[in-house]
Amino acid sequence: MYATKQPSLRIKQADLECKNGCGYYGNADWEGYCSKCFRNHMDQERQKKSRQSHAEHSRAHVSGFSKFEEKKRQQTDKKNKYLKSLPVFRKSSSAKESGKPEKYIDMRQANPDADKLLAEFISSYGEWGEFVRKDFFKCVQSFTTKILSELDAKPVEDLAEIAQNYYNLYNNRVNSNPVYQAVTSEVRDELLDFFERYCMVSLYRFLFCPPSTNDEEKDLTIQDRIRKLSWVNAHHLDCCISETSIEVRDLVYTAINDLLGMDSMKAPQEKLTCVVRCCRSVVEVLQHCQGGPVSADEFLPALIFVVLKANPARLKSNILYVTRFCNDSRLMQGEAGYYFTNLCCAVSFIENLTAESLNMSEQEFQAYMSGEITCVSAWESALVACEGMHQLCEHLALLKGLSERTTVVQDGTQKLREDMQKLKDEINEKVTSVLEKTPLIIKPRKSPIPLSKEDFPILPPSPIPKVEDEPITQNEDNQNPPHNYYLQNLSMSQINLLDSTKNKLQLDITPCIKIPNTIPVQSSQSTDFLSPSPAHENKSIDSLTPDDNSYLGLSKINYEIDFSDLSADNSIAEELTTEKCKSPTPSFTTPDPFSPVGTSCNIMQSPLVPSNASLPAVIEVKPVKRDDFVLPFLENISKQTAEETLLDKLEEAPIINLPSPIKPFTSEYSGFSKQGSKIPSIPCNTGDFSSLNLSQSSLPSCSKEIID
Amino acid sequence: MARDYDHLFKLLIIGDSGVGKSSLLLRFSDNTFTGSYITTIGVDFKIKTVNVNGQKVKLQIWDTAGQERFRTITSTYYRGTHGVIVVYDVTNGESFANVKRWLHEIEQNCDLVNKVLVGNKNDTPERKVVLTEDAQRFADTMNIQLFETSAKDNINVEEMFMAITRLVLRSKLELIERQNFTQNDTVNLRKTNKPGKKNKCC
Repeated sequence: MYATKQPSLRIKQADLECKNGCGYYGNADWEGYCSKCFRNHMDQERQKKSRQSHAEHSRAHVSGFSKFEEKKRQQTDKKNKYLKSLPVFRKSSSAKESGKPEKYIDMRQANPDADKLLAEFISSYGEWGEFVRKDFFKCVQSFTTKILSELDAKPVEDLAEIAQNYYNLYNNRVNSNPVYQAVTSEVRDELLDFFERYCMVSLYRFLFCPPSTNDEEKDLTIQDRIRKLSWVNAHHLDCCISETSIEVRDLVYTAINDLLGMDSMKAPQEKLTCVVRCCRSVVEVLQHCQGGPVSADEFLPALIFVVLKANPARLKSNILYVTRFCNDSRLMQGEAGYYFTNLCCAVSFIENLTAESLNMSEQEFQAYMSGEITCVSAWESALVACEGMHQLCEHLALLKGLSERTTVVQDGTQKLREDMQKLKDEINEKVTSVLEKTPLIIKPRKSPIPLSKEDFPILPPSPIPKVEDEPITQNEDNQNPPHNYYLQNLSMSQINLLDSTKNKLQLDITPCIKIPNTIPVQSSQSTDFLSPSPAHENKSIDSLTPDDNSYLGLSKINYEIDFSDLSADNSIAEELTTEKCKSPTPSFTTPDPFSPVGTSCNIMQSPLVPSNASLPAVIEVKPVKRDDFVLPFLENISKQTAEETLLDKLEEAPIINLPSPIKPFTSEYSGFSKQGSKIPSIPCNTGDFSSLNLSQSSLPSCSKEIID
Repeated sequence: MARDYDHLFKLLIIGDSGVGKSSLLLRFSDNTFTGSYITTIGVDFKIKTVNVNGQKVKLQIWDTAGQERFRTITSTYYRGTHGVIVVYDVTNGESFANVKRWLHEIEQNCDLVNKVLVGNKNDTPERKVVLTEDAQRFADTMNIQLFETSAKDNINVEEMFMAITRLVLRSKLELIERQNFTQNDTVNLRKTNKPGKKNKCC
């Protein structure tokens, strides 16, 4: 949590440092350099320029000149420094330094913050009439012009005095001038406050860290000092901040952020507000740590600790600016005054910090300062620890969520397992019940064999006639099977291979379904009767000519094989078909109970669904083809299907004769015979297809082989 | 300008750490003792308005850190102070011994300031180390008023604060009188401005 919160306000120290890498802090106004490096940089620039401008001069002359210039500047620098220490001479020296007030005035006019304040003034004090506003800006104008005119002529202390005088003047004016008579006392206070704020925001550029002072040097000194004192921890200061508590750490960071925010404010009272906020946070920290009222004895060390850890930018400049230009009465009284005084004390403590003030020996202190002892600061390590703790908490929360989810998943799996078990039982039941009805399979084979051969001659022509021949082919198709029967016996050997692989596949699945006995039976049967439709058709066709029917039915079987040779789906599809064979009417509903079987074995699941879909698809395929080419043939079939019932009865008789245990043997054996019987049917298709050679692309490869 | 007070004084409480400066302040401003009472805001900064001779006096009392190590830096606190309360612990001889140093500190930082000497924690006689006679003798030699108080039992606290307020008020009025006198001596053209100035402290 903190990791996300912290960086938003924190700028890396490296970002603030001088571009030159000298270790001092840089400033955007100085192009990211510190003052010294910037000066050097400017010197170089100037030298370059002078070189360019005096290109005609000899090189020696230029260098001599620049040298001279540098010397002169050094001298003036020295002089300035000397003069700065003597206020008497301040006037003349600073007057020499810069004398372009016009430039400053221009800058003031372009101050966006002042414009913002102007808008604020109009919105909040506009109601008091134009006179108030005019008078206010008259005073502001006179104040700013006065300051700007004196800016270069007087030391900053004098300017501060002028500012204080103006505050008092305006105070008196507000309280005595008839213009402000209507204004209530609270608004008068606000106006005074606003006057100060407005003027200071306008003049901020010139009064904050003015070039005539060495404020900046002081900033750098204290910054360096604080950096060297980074090893000081709460313990050294006898301050009761418990560095390991997360709440305390957050509060300390709030305090640090408030203190850092001081530099971004422009008006003195805004800076003071930051200080007050910071100090309140510190008080809160202490209350948190010791659980009672806070006395100055504890407050000051804590504040020092916060200042040390914050190391605010331009700390000294800010303090001096506030001291100089904040209304004195504000600084000497009230909460803001008190806390600001404490801050000054903290800074002066840091400046004068010695071994004694930290209750340690001089030797130890020096060792710390020189970095001989690199004490792992409790604060930093606490931060690390807290961060670790934090991450730990987050991870724990994450783990909790995960475990919850796993339990949900586990429950789900448990339920699924139960469902699967239920399903298995159901299937077992169904299968056993179905098995009792199944044995229909065997009888029709023997009858088809004698009828088969007549159609032989018709088959060759079948590939040649195309669309025109269709009506004829329909009749031929019925007669085709016998001729193909022998051919197909060969091709069926291949299919047998396929079937055997399917059997294997099914056997793989069986452990899941736990129907060890029945499945081989089914599979063998299924290979015989692949689709429900063939079964129906068989019967229906039987009514016309038993032999042909069987072939035709078998031809449909080939369809299915063709469409789904490669997939294991067939096996399931076949299983389904067996059921359909036995009970034609529920055949279409059966897929649903079986689909869970697929879900029980994950691998099977996905293939199974398509297979279910494929079943109806297979049935649909025929109508499609009927529409396209084979219409009459299929129409016959559809007519014939109506007559199934009689055949069923005929077929059922042998079923009773064959008990289930016998099936495995019979089926395995009879598989051949069946296939033999079926094989003739394949040519029927091929005959169909051959007649439709135009659309060979739609024909599966298997059927092509068969045709060959 | 209409204000809810006639005078505003800044008082400073100094003394060794742990003598009960904060407790005194808390007792006076909130009439509470630190026991288990948790204030919403720190005692560092308290304001109380009292009535002296019909004049409303607003007191803002600044607590200071008493540790030895902060002694050199606390000079900032003295700026604009009207009165100083020097506190020692009657059960702690050392704190009394340090009073001299504190007084010296005041001398260095303020030209003219009213002081009182306060012996706090005067509630358990058996633990009392600094005798009243000794303290009184010392106070007399330094020409300071002495109070023995107990913030815990609320003994003498109010009186002590009222006394220092009266002292401060008196010296201020004296000062104004003297100024008036000197101003009366000369010709003052801007006499009208004076009453306004009266409200401002130092």
